[in-house]
Amino acid sequence: MAGQREAQSVPWFADERPAEVIADGVRLDGRSLEEFRNVFLKTGVISQASGSAYAEFGHTKVMVGVYGPRQSERRVEYSEQGRINVDVKLASFATRQRGIFGQSPEERELSAGVQAALEAAADLASFPKASADVYVLVLEAGGGELGVAATAAALALADAGIELFDIVVACSVSRVDGCLLLDPSTDESFREQGGLVLALLPTSNEVTQLVSRGRWSGSQLREGLELAMGGCAQLESAARQCLKDAVVAAAAKQRQQQQQAQA
Amino acid sequence: MLQADAFQRLYPDKYLTKFIEQGVRPDGRPLSLARATSIGLGVVSTADASALVKIGSTTVLAGVKCEVMPAVADAPDEGRLTLQVELAPLCCSSARPGRPSEAAALLTEQLEGLLEGAGVVDRRQLCIDPGKAAWALYVDVYVLDADGSLQDACLLAVLAALSSLQLHAVTLDDAGNIQKAAVPDAGAAAAAAAAAAVPGSPQLRRLSLGCQPVSLTCGVYLGRLLVDPTAEEEALLEAQLTATVDAEGGILGFYKAGGSVTASQQRVQQCVEAAKLRSKEVQGLLQQALDQAAAAAAAAAPS
Repeated sequence: MAGQREAQSVPWFADERPAEVIADGVRLDGRSLEEFRNVFLKTGVISQASGSAYAEFGHTKVMVGVYGPRQSERRVEYSEQGRINVDVKLASFATRQRGIFGQSPEERELSAGVQAALEAAADLASFPKASADVYVLVLEAGGGELGVAATAAALALADAGIELFDIVVACSVSRVDGCLLLDPSTDESFREQGGLVLALLPTSNEVTQLVSRGRWSGSQLREGLELAMGGCAQLESAARQCLKDAVVAAAAKQRQQQQQAQA
Repeated sequence: MLQADAFQRLYPDKYLTKFIEQGVRPDGRPLSLARATSIGLGVVSTADASALVKIGSTTVLAGVKCEVMPAVADAPDEGRLTLQVELAPLCCSSARPGRPSEAAALLTEQLEGLLEGAGVVDRRQLCIDPGKAAWALYVDVYVLDADGSLQDACLLAVLAALSSLQLHAVTLDDAGNIQKAAVPDAGAAAAAAAAAAVPGSPQLRRLSLGCQPVSLTCGVYLGRLLVDPTAEEEALLEAQLTATVDAEGGILGFYKAGGSVTASQQRVQQCVEAAKLRSKEVQGLLQQALDQAAAAAAAAAPS
């Protein structure tokens, strides 16, 4: 969205981006190289949606709403299978520089990325000819949006009761000055020489999506992948706990209502 | 429990009628009570100011970005404020990605009209250097969960974001570039801090808002007034009234969006009175949120 500019205005920043992101093996935000940011996951955050999730990794904040499965809005080719339709939007104030009117190339890339990460996980045959609309809004882009959005979107699909073969967890790794950083922030990925995003189905350890940027040597890439796998394993336990908590809370609420109805 | 759910789905009108006849709402509220409201400030660190407002399940996020613009010829000492409301596609089942919807455009118009009409932001406060440069504020409002009474939530989010906004002190250098204002020496800094009433940060200046509008939506159903309706109720209402008042109880706007019944003068009066009460409650909440944010900032700042 974002209002069209009536006249020219230019961004102005109070602070410059830091030139160095690692000092003595410690990152700017005090993390060690292989440490995750604080992760917070919650499902059932939007009252109107079939399923929804909120994910916060440090400063990256993402909200996902799933509607459907319902009749496909867009005219698409006939398919016996269901479709997952993803639209990712960045809030205009989510980035350092204010977003533009209409869909930006970055949003298009994120939409395609999240869709690719999810498609292999959902049982598309369980909702033939219909589409599940996954709407993602990035409230604040603090780095690693693709991974956070894919993880949150999988939780929202689960919350909507759409059959999945497994949940999807995704995280990113950046290479800065020869060091591998797990779950990089925007300042860190701004200074990176190479980066990768890994999405996988954690039970079978099958990769649904792997994107790498920049130049990597074989051994470095292997190391980076291992680090990302380790990150995904940490995320998996958080994601499963989040879904368990939601079920327990729902059961408790139902019991309470039954008691009230009897009383 | 399942039976009640099925009844609600099949006969939503009868379901609501059963409640309203008893003088209660499906969510357990009395007819004249607004939902629990919360305000969170500074939730998005990339925005210059931001506010997350929840009224029941209705959730709205407003963010402000400041940019620098050249002064406009016909108003050399004024800046600009651009407001836009977006119904994010995740907020309700009818919103779709793509072009802004009619409902979003209507909300934008209403809020712009209210801010303009009430003189909430004096644009001269946005001046950096008269005739040369000024601040352009972009206020973007995202509806995250549309569970009724959207205008109330959007207006509150905008008001909260603007109340918490702090503009950086900047100057225009000889080359025409914007620079951070030089840090004044200690004595002057203390004086400036006292003047700006922002403890410990002479580099930041708060806007002073000309007025604090608060709106309240009421629905008419079976001849009764339902304060702060949910989306489920809104779909069945016979008419919807929205009154906007300022902190002193003066009326800033009234809006009745058609509907199948007319509203009597008495009904309008009732809605305005409810809005005045609501305004007091909301001002209190906003002040509380601002105090909390100030305390947090003071604690975080190195003394």
